[in-house]
Amino acid sequence: MSASPPADPTENFGPGSIGSRRLSTGITATWWYTVAALLIFQLMILLLWIGAQTNLGKSPASVVTMAVGGLAWCLATVPLLVLYRRRDETAGVTAQWRSILLPLCISTAFAFIAGLTSGLWVMAVLPIVQSLMLLNWPRGVRMRLVMAALMLLGGLWFIDLRSMTSAGGEVAEGWWALGFMTILLPAITVSSLWWWDVLATLDRARAAESRLGATQERLRVATDVHDLQGHHLQVIALQLELSERLLTRDPKAALEQLRLARSSVAAAQQGTRDLAMRFRGVPLRDELDNAVDILRAAGISVNATVSGEVNLAPATILGPIIRETTTNVLRHGAGMRAHLSLKRDGDQWSYEITNDHAAENAHSADGSGIHGIIRRAAEADGSVEVHRGKHEFSIVVRVPATSIKKER
Amino acid sequence: MIRVLIADDEAMIRSALAALLRLEDDIEVVAECADGAQAVIMAEKLQPDICLLDLEMPELDGVQVADRLRSTGSATRCVVVTRHARPGVLRRALASGVSGFLPKSRSANEVAEVIRRVAAGARYIDPEIAADALSDERSPLTERELDVLRAGRRGESTVQIARTLNLAAGTVRNYISAILAKLNVATRQQAVLLAEERGWI
Repeated sequence: MSASPPADPTENFGPGSIGSRRLSTGITATWWYTVAALLIFQLMILLLWIGAQTNLGKSPASVVTMAVGGLAWCLATVPLLVLYRRRDETAGVTAQWRSILLPLCISTAFAFIAGLTSGLWVMAVLPIVQSLMLLNWPRGVRMRLVMAALMLLGGLWFIDLRSMTSAGGEVAEGWWALGFMTILLPAITVSSLWWWDVLATLDRARAAESRLGATQERLRVATDVHDLQGHHLQVIALQLELSERLLTRDPKAALEQLRLARSSVAAAQQGTRDLAMRFRGVPLRDELDNAVDILRAAGISVNATVSGEVNLAPATILGPIIRETTTNVLRHGAGMRAHLSLKRDGDQWSYEITNDHAAENAHSADGSGIHGIIRRAAEADGSVEVHRGKHEFSIVVRVPATSIKKER
Repeated sequence: MIRVLIADDEAMIRSALAALLRLEDDIEVVAECADGAQAVIMAEKLQPDICLLDLEMPELDGVQVADRLRSTGSATRCVVVTRHARPGVLRRALASGVSGFLPKSRSANEVAEVIRRVAAGARYIDPEIAADALSDERSPLTERELDVLRAGRRGESTVQIARTLNLAAGTVRNYISAILAKLNVATRQQAVLLAEERGWI
């Protein structure tokens, strides 16, 4: 752990950060890889069945029926898989019965057709069993279902083999492999999905961990607040006690102590606030978006142009300037229009805010904000231009982009 | 004279502030209320020029009081005072037509000054509050997704949420799975907790 406090403990992992976006892309890719693997496995078994049917000399019509029905069944498992990913584990298996009804009907229909055309029990059961495996079962139940499916399919395969040999037919070459894969399909499916669940759980644990980090940081701040308040309150108590004693003997000195107590209160308030703000760094982009939101909420029509890698702009300088100017627009603007822009101009960042203002030109009445902006910009070797038009007021702040390296 | 109504559930702060404001020559405190509901009733009866409303109050909060008063067509202008502005509050306040917003740390003198300005028709947003609002963490969720979370924050079923929002249950489920993915949590309860903690809902 580094000694310096992180600007924002959730910065690297919080929702929306680059790191977490890359990770979530990887997780999505893993999901589709799982889905693709399962679908390919289903298709392979389908092909093996069709091959076996052809070897047995079934009519082309029944083979085509098998193929078409099998494809429909494979497609019907896709929505079930999609639902599986989005499932709420506590919701229970029938929570989304409307969405699972059709895929299950298709699977049942295909199972019926497959069973009839092939005359084999396994084929009549596998499509239904496979689709059932994809539903949102509670954890223990899913495990028991897989065991049951294994035994059921194994038993049926045994019965099918017996009936085939007793009918005098020779057991064809590929049949053992086909049987093996057919029986194992539900187990393989569930273990793939289990693997996916593990991954998703790990991902959530990672997110929870980063939140925990943030919580611990907050606890540390709470301790700091306690220390700070304790100190200030003690000072204030002493000052008040002193003024109480002085009140009758030396009212002038008592008054002075009261004034001191008030300034101690102000110092305590400022200290608390500084502490709270220390951890509240947000990206410049968010700050601009917040500014636009708030101005819009105040009934001002705002347009904003932001270009380039805004998060590379010096946030510690421009952030307070954006806050200050937005506040000015809220307080002084005539409340109709405002325009914000932040762009890279060669080796400079240029931030401009324009608004229409009331005729009495309230800006000049409260120049302290603008002085603050000029001071901040000067500290970063930047410049400020103020335009006071008849109906418009605009501030342009330019700061060199050279301080970027130090910022980030 | 500027006629002022004060509403704050903390009696000490309310009476001290009222006493200090009464010392101003041009301000008359016409009512002191202990909660939002009472503030609405008194404001409708007395029609003060300014309502000085605490944000955190039982029954109705300061912004809700302002919203009520505006919807009844009252000409009263509202100033909201808060100890710490939770994210999103300024946005909500501005949308409800609040004319002034300031932190509780301001002295009675400054409060009186703000009351005068707002009574004169200006809008006053304290720089501290604005700075807080601008450094809010932005929610990754859309308005609709936030609606879904809000409608389900007390553990309502999907069907109930759908009924509240006039949506199909399937649509609500889609919103919920989008929310879970965006916030990277496993259940809707966790999503609600996270969103409440961050002040998004």
